[in-house]
Amino acid sequence: MRRNLVVFLFGLVVALFVGWVAFPQALYVKKHQPLDFLHKTHAEKSGVADCSECHTIREDGTFAGLPPMEKCAGCHSDRIGESKAEATLVNDYIKTGHETPWLVYSQQPPNVWFSHAIHVKRAKLTCTECHAAYGESDQVRLYEVNRISGYSRDIWGHSISRLRRAPHEGMKMSDCEGCHAKHNVEVGCLGCHE
Amino acid sequence: MKFTRRDLLVWGAGAAAGLVVSPVPWKVLDDVSIWSQNWPWIPQPARGPVEVKQSFCTLCPNGCGLRVRMAGGWPVGVAGVSSHPISRGALCPLGFAAHQLNWHPRRLHAAQHHGEPSSLSEAQAAFAKACGEGSIVIIDGYPGRAASSVLKTFAEKQGGTYRVVTSSESRALAPYEAWIDAPSSSLGYDLENAQTVVSFGAPMLDGWGTPGRFTWLWAERAGGMTDPQLRLIQIDSSFSRTAARAWQWVPIRDGSESALASGLARVLLEQKLVPAHGPIPPIALSEVAAQTGLSADAIQDLARTFVSHLPVLAIAGDNDPAIAALNIVLGSVGARGGIVRRSKNAESYVAADADIPNARAVLIDGSVPWDFAPQTEAEVFRFAAWDGGPSQSDWLLPSPGFLEALTDVPTAPTLSVETYAVAPALVRPPSEVMSIEQFLSVAEPTLIPVDKIIHSRCEELFRKHSGTLYGQEKTPVAKIASVQKLEEEFSKGAVWVDEPSPSGSMRCELKEWPAATPASRVESWTTEWPIAVLPPLATKLYIESNLREAPERRNA
Repeated sequence: MRRNLVVFLFGLVVALFVGWVAFPQALYVKKHQPLDFLHKTHAEKSGVADCSECHTIREDGTFAGLPPMEKCAGCHSDRIGESKAEATLVNDYIKTGHETPWLVYSQQPPNVWFSHAIHVKRAKLTCTECHAAYGESDQVRLYEVNRISGYSRDIWGHSISRLRRAPHEGMKMSDCEGCHAKHNVEVGCLGCHE
Repeated sequence: MKFTRRDLLVWGAGAAAGLVVSPVPWKVLDDVSIWSQNWPWIPQPARGPVEVKQSFCTLCPNGCGLRVRMAGGWPVGVAGVSSHPISRGALCPLGFAAHQLNWHPRRLHAAQHHGEPSSLSEAQAAFAKACGEGSIVIIDGYPGRAASSVLKTFAEKQGGTYRVVTSSESRALAPYEAWIDAPSSSLGYDLENAQTVVSFGAPMLDGWGTPGRFTWLWAERAGGMTDPQLRLIQIDSSFSRTAARAWQWVPIRDGSESALASGLARVLLEQKLVPAHGPIPPIALSEVAAQTGLSADAIQDLARTFVSHLPVLAIAGDNDPAIAALNIVLGSVGARGGIVRRSKNAESYVAADADIPNARAVLIDGSVPWDFAPQTEAEVFRFAAWDGGPSQSDWLLPSPGFLEALTDVPTAPTLSVETYAVAPALVRPPSEVMSIEQFLSVAEPTLIPVDKIIHSRCEELFRKHSGTLYGQEKTPVAKIASVQKLEEEFSKGAVWVDEPSPSGSMRCELKEWPAATPASRVESWTTEWPIAVLPPLATKLYIESNLREAPERRNA
């Protein structure tokens, strides 16, 4: 009887280790961004204090997302540093005119429509409420892509159990619904799924 | 120590128990469900710059304003335009999901001959041969467009005939043609000035007319009020969505609408509740009561309710001369809040009959509902963007889908004022797709193309100097500097709305009470769309979830 208990517990522990430790490691593939872009350095050196100076909302209300290469070329038309990232930026992208193929942490399926304009302008949410203080970070996060779904780990959130998450973690539909319920804002299916 | 088979089973049980309390099963289930949405054979819109364009829905003749969200040059979402003066931001379920239609599995990408793959050139050769051998009939489901003008001109040049298949809303106006000197296409309902609307089975709050027009009126003037400014009396055999929200629901037996209209007219005339004099309907009140299931007292009360809150307007679900005659008795024809003549220049159309004898070829436009199946020996060329199921056509030819062709948007059938708009081609159609007017232009190169007809219509509007343009701003046409400026505004989604016609300008005389006609079933919003071709969003949200009343539910 005791032997059976030991063997059962052994199986249980192995499965728990696999499920909670090995599985999350194996599920995500870590990828580096094409450039080491440092928000903090840019904010300090260029004096840009507001996220919307680079991540603009167009006049028609759509979100422009990541700034285009012309914006970077405004300062980096020639190398202004000796780092490898600076050389890559200038030689591979600015001089060739190619957009930087950033890996977007918040990429959603095509059938999802999220309006930054409504959330920022009408609901008065600050950028940090969803993106934390990423604008002040001095390192580039690894991009972790889910091997099965193909989407970023940021969609699920870093915590594999989705328990004890920070408020900005997770971009699943249930997170949208939770936030809307918290702020008592009703939204129908067509609000996000046009 | 030996590891036995029993140990293996116990270890497996422990591992299974451990996995259940780990994230593996739930996370894998979630990820696999997302992965299954991205299988390569599931069409995905291209990623790219997002832009918003204005256009109009042309899936039916109501022409609602659309705000189209485009990604990478493809429509990925549509919403209503709140500044549209008629639809006011509302769309029907089909319109809401219309951006999915171009990827529908039943989208036609190539010509078919008797169900076998063929080509447009073979179809053109067959059509040219048919034109040389006998007469042709062209069937249009959306008359009044520039494309309709091309079809009509071709039919005239070939000595053929041009016929139209109209919606139940248009057919409901047809009986007036017998009593007034104007085509029914020039008539409309002055709902905005009516105080009582009596619907004989028309789904007023569930897809009737231009979505948004009556629902907004009802919301503003009736919603939540115990004594509303606008009374909606729904005479319906089932407790429909409209009946559930109406001011009063009058349940009657199915198919007895015509008899009830006659009975009500009899009460109104005999009890002198209306100033009109006219032929007394040849049906006794007891007979009406027997047919409808209402008591004679209830019918008399209903007649008195009608005239207690004037103007009153009766709306039929389909072609029903008795309901039209009731409007004449009520004095609602040619009067404010009744049936009005919105245009003096409207064309008269001949309705298509399914029985088409003595024709060599029948050409059916993509706007004709799929359930219109001509009974003919002629060679049938049917244009369609989507394959609606079994067809009796010899040729099935792929036509432009949603927002794939330039078209103009003439006045919707039920409106009381004339309107005009232009829906640009926002999407390039597949290579093998050809519109019916392009097809005809190959056989008859002298036909004026659609864009030139639209241009000449814009010139005509500009010269008319009447009405108002509803674009980003409201501008009287008289203040628009040039035709080019007018066309520019149209290309940005502006809508032209004419001045309302003066009421009382229509002479209408009823000499004898019309014979009773068997009432046809008034269907709901999916009537003219085969269920198989409905976009997934409309199916999911409005049929499976029962948000809207689908025909099969109504019949249940």
